[in-house]
Amino acid sequence: MVTPTVAFTDERLPNGLRLIIAEDHLAPVVAVNIWYAVGSKNEVPGKTGFAHLFEHVMFQGSRNVKKAEHIALVQAAGGTINGTTWLDRTNYYETLPSNQLELALWLEADRMGTLLDALSQDNLDNQREVVKNEKRSTYDNRPYGSWSEKLQAHLYPAGHPYHHPTIGSMADLDAASLEDVSAFFRTYYAPNNAVLAVVGDVEPDQVRAWTERYFGGIPANPAIPPVGDLSLPPTLGGEVRETVVDQVPLPRIYFGFRAPAFGDRRLDALEVAMQILAGGKGSRLDRRLVRDDQIAQDVVAFVLGFVGGGSIASGWATVRPGMALERVEAAYLEELDRLTHEPVTDDELARAKALIETEELGALSRVEERADRLAMNATLFDDPALIDTMLARYLAVTAEDIQAVAAEVFRPDNRLVLTYLPAAGSAEEPAA
Amino acid sequence: MSESTVIATRPTPGQPRPYEFPAFQRHALSNGLLVILAPMPGRPLVTASLVVRNGAADDPFTVAGATALAARALSEGTQRYDAVALVEATERLGAGLHADAGWDAATVSVEVPVARLEPALALLAELAAHPTFPPREVDRLREERLNDLLQARAEPRRRVEEAFIGTIFASSSAYHRPAGGLAETVETLDADRLATAWARGFDPARMTLIIAGDLDGGGGRGPVEVAEDLLGGWTAAAGAVAGGPVSSESAVDSLRIKLLDRPGSVQTEIRVGHVGVPRRIDDYAGLSVMSAILGGLFNSRLNMKLREEKGYTYGASAGFDPRRGAGPFAARVAVNTEVTVPALVDLLSELSRIREAPVTAAELGAARDFLVGVFPLRFETPGPVVGALGGIVVHDLPDDELATYRARIEAVGADDVLAIARARIHPDRAAIVMVGDAARIASELEAAAIGPLEVIRDDELAGQEA
Repeated sequence: MVTPTVAFTDERLPNGLRLIIAEDHLAPVVAVNIWYAVGSKNEVPGKTGFAHLFEHVMFQGSRNVKKAEHIALVQAAGGTINGTTWLDRTNYYETLPSNQLELALWLEADRMGTLLDALSQDNLDNQREVVKNEKRSTYDNRPYGSWSEKLQAHLYPAGHPYHHPTIGSMADLDAASLEDVSAFFRTYYAPNNAVLAVVGDVEPDQVRAWTERYFGGIPANPAIPPVGDLSLPPTLGGEVRETVVDQVPLPRIYFGFRAPAFGDRRLDALEVAMQILAGGKGSRLDRRLVRDDQIAQDVVAFVLGFVGGGSIASGWATVRPGMALERVEAAYLEELDRLTHEPVTDDELARAKALIETEELGALSRVEERADRLAMNATLFDDPALIDTMLARYLAVTAEDIQAVAAEVFRPDNRLVLTYLPAAGSAEEPAA
Repeated sequence: MSESTVIATRPTPGQPRPYEFPAFQRHALSNGLLVILAPMPGRPLVTASLVVRNGAADDPFTVAGATALAARALSEGTQRYDAVALVEATERLGAGLHADAGWDAATVSVEVPVARLEPALALLAELAAHPTFPPREVDRLREERLNDLLQARAEPRRRVEEAFIGTIFASSSAYHRPAGGLAETVETLDADRLATAWARGFDPARMTLIIAGDLDGGGGRGPVEVAEDLLGGWTAAAGAVAGGPVSSESAVDSLRIKLLDRPGSVQTEIRVGHVGVPRRIDDYAGLSVMSAILGGLFNSRLNMKLREEKGYTYGASAGFDPRRGAGPFAARVAVNTEVTVPALVDLLSELSRIREAPVTAAELGAARDFLVGVFPLRFETPGPVVGALGGIVVHDLPDDELATYRARIEAVGADDVLAIARARIHPDRAAIVMVGDAARIASELEAAAIGPLEVIRDDELAGQEA
């Protein structure tokens, strides 16, 4: 199969804004994706959740845009829109009919340049309540909802920039002030801290002209502070265990390991290993725990890639009613251990790669995903051309690579085991 | 730091590039099975979907969930392959092969690079025509579904949905139960019952194979020729029978509140609604515009009031789920426990307000422009194109349904929206179903006198279901 490549241009405005344009006239649509090099890792103690709360404030208007008007204008233009905050970055994106590109650029420039003109205590208070309800919906009011926060807290030591969750704590959200918002904006939301990717049915010269017109008057911030120290030992240095009693119907065991940083070739091999472990019904864990032994309701294994210090390799198994938790844990860990002792078979590796290839082909067929990946590679690795190497890197992974990284990562002294047990009254009823 | 200079003038859009939904052609195989091809040049990742017009709504109530489980069990073994051999063969093609059942139809779909379409279609055909429903795997899937129902009870969002449909639809309607069935119906499912459910839809006259993508890119034989070889010899299964009309009988005739107690909840999950509309109605375009204004857009009335003005929630929405019969209309929101009553009051007031006066020109324009403008974005890749064509097949819609969609949306006026809201939204006979901490909200709900309140605690639920 022909590996798709993405032709793009890569340049900077005098104020430092990095502009990446990829032309594709297949469909009359355009994707705009702007990445800011700021995430929850830039937060300081006492101000957790701030990068994400700020992302909400970015939709509350700017000098020439009223509250809630940003999304209204994009939707009325036939566009879709959202923003996301993660440990390493924050991004804002919209996909529109291609004749509406200029509107999207104007909107992004207006808030990059003049957000504070529209900032008010009312808007901040309103979005603080929205975010607190997001936290309740996504984490606090859901079975097993605390797992990801616990994963981060255990795998990264206190004080490490990855130690706390992006959603933050209720107390810190309550404490966020207008002054905090202003300072955060002035510090991080500068053109020289952003990458703008525009992909789709566009004329590059026109995109350049509009970008200069709308973003050109926004000054750079020459003093963006560096992120805190992200370094940490490659392993935990000893097994960590926690048991949580919660309103859950079935016990579930989460596993967590420190893993190589995002961008490290070893993490590519680990991604392929996770596909072989739990990527669908042909995978090792699914076949053994769900199909053959019938001791687990479901199995999952995945990697969360972070650029600094270390990533997370994680997964879980939900225990079927009546089955011993210990048996599920032992079987899951045996399969991880087996990866460290013997190479995966040629057929397993070929199947995993075929699936990854199709997945990449599907992802790159959408302008939104192409814009996201170009901006990601520019922001995190200073190299948007990596978009064309991702698939090749997965395809180059060998059985030896997988065995080697598995031996580094899936060690007992690098392991977090987080077990959820049903509280009295929330366990399953015995079968009638 | 110097001040930013930005351009104050909002740009106006350029000329839109014309967009047409991909043209498609129908081809009948020798046994009557229809093939629909939608060529999409430049899209080498192809989607093919076999639509079988037999869905969860066609399950006898005693075996509710049989069709959904049968669809899942197709890949657990066929005459030629056991489950593991099948999944390995699929993965070697780099293909995603999935079978699923909705209310009105079951689908067996594959997504695959066009160069491997032919062997992928062969697997799809094997799955659809020769499933063996191995008892050991069926038993496992049944247990997994029962465990999933247990999980649903613990998840407030899923629990409230299940309680909501169980409240608004009479037990004489299939929609009273989830498409996947309830514990007492799933428990009865075995290999024979799944085979029966699958055979019910296995009639070439009621099956359609839809393929979209860069169909010239594969070389070799054309998809119709391949389909003739693989599917053209199929004959109707014994027991195949077309589904009849679906009852949508309502169980609610006046406003009432049902609160399912979940002690310790930090939010209350709220659903407000009633029996809605079927897919085949004349004012579907008007319904789409009205739903967008009420609870579809980010700037919908519900989201603006409950999220952007009050901060009660991460998001509020409302909409219809049109099916062969009348599916539910529901407004949905999760709010922090202490604002449950004021949030409910605001929500009900918006359901009334949309019926009282015409929407503003700005609201109307935003909704129409969104639905029209987003149309080409929805169909960038083959998967959604196949999905939309499947809707035409399942609901017997005219072939130009998608071609005329945008013009019909443009034609909707404020008077139409008002008329549709009055005809289709009925806050005076809605059910309000909630999952939350009764100890913290029941007395306030009672005092608010919105409607008669029924509080259901866990032990009573267990008693009801025993």
